[in-house]
Amino acid sequence: MAIKVRIPTPLQKLSNGKAEVECSAQNIKELVDALERDYPGMKERLSEGGKIRRFINIYINEEDIRFMNKEDTLLKDGDTISIVPAIAGGSCQV
Amino acid sequence: MTLTFHKTDIQRIFDHCAAGLPNESCGMLAGRDGAVEKVYCMKNAKPGPDYYEMDPEEQFRVMKDIRDAGLQMIGLFHSHPTGQAYPSSVDVAQAYWPGTQLPNYPDAVYVIVSLMDRSRPVVRGFSIEEGKVTEVALHVL
Repeated sequence: MAIKVRIPTPLQKLSNGKAEVECSAQNIKELVDALERDYPGMKERLSEGGKIRRFINIYINEEDIRFMNKEDTLLKDGDTISIVPAIAGGSCQV
Repeated sequence: MTLTFHKTDIQRIFDHCAAGLPNESCGMLAGRDGAVEKVYCMKNAKPGPDYYEMDPEEQFRVMKDIRDAGLQMIGLFHSHPTGQAYPSSVDVAQAYWPGTQLPNYPDAVYVIVSLMDRSRPVVRGFSIEEGKVTEVALHVL
């Protein structure tokens, strides 16, 4: 099952400079594992304790997985996944 | 690196930031070669007087709109209602991929509007890369 994955600039070092890669997976969890197999280091960048990191948005085609079944969201042949860092900040000091 | 705006675009940014008070406001700047051609005034999905977070759905839609228009995301703006027009530690931390110092949007200028004096907003731009904050000159046409 061919899934296209758009790789954001900060992770392109891991994908050998590729902005788009293809992999095979039934759901988002498997997709993260498939990316890790092909491009070691991806899993740690994308997830923590099996969950997608807080400030990373993952979209299947144009839908945010948070509003679907999160890491268990099913994928289908031809889906395009976009990995997009959230944009946040503010004047608070932590 | 510089960023050039039309006066009307700067005014739109100020108006959006003023309308969002007492909370922070945010948006994106699209254009080419450092020239802002389109300002997207966006929703603060986690509004607070000292925090902003773009709505993921709107963020995706706007980024797609920018690509479809043949433009690039050349800047991100947000307001500091009671703080200086300078990136806070949170701004700097959020500019990187979590747990790294890899900039999320290396080509974007971070534009910050201070509303400490509401009648005279101050706007400045910065690049945030590899732990270094560098001021970027803003030109208004």
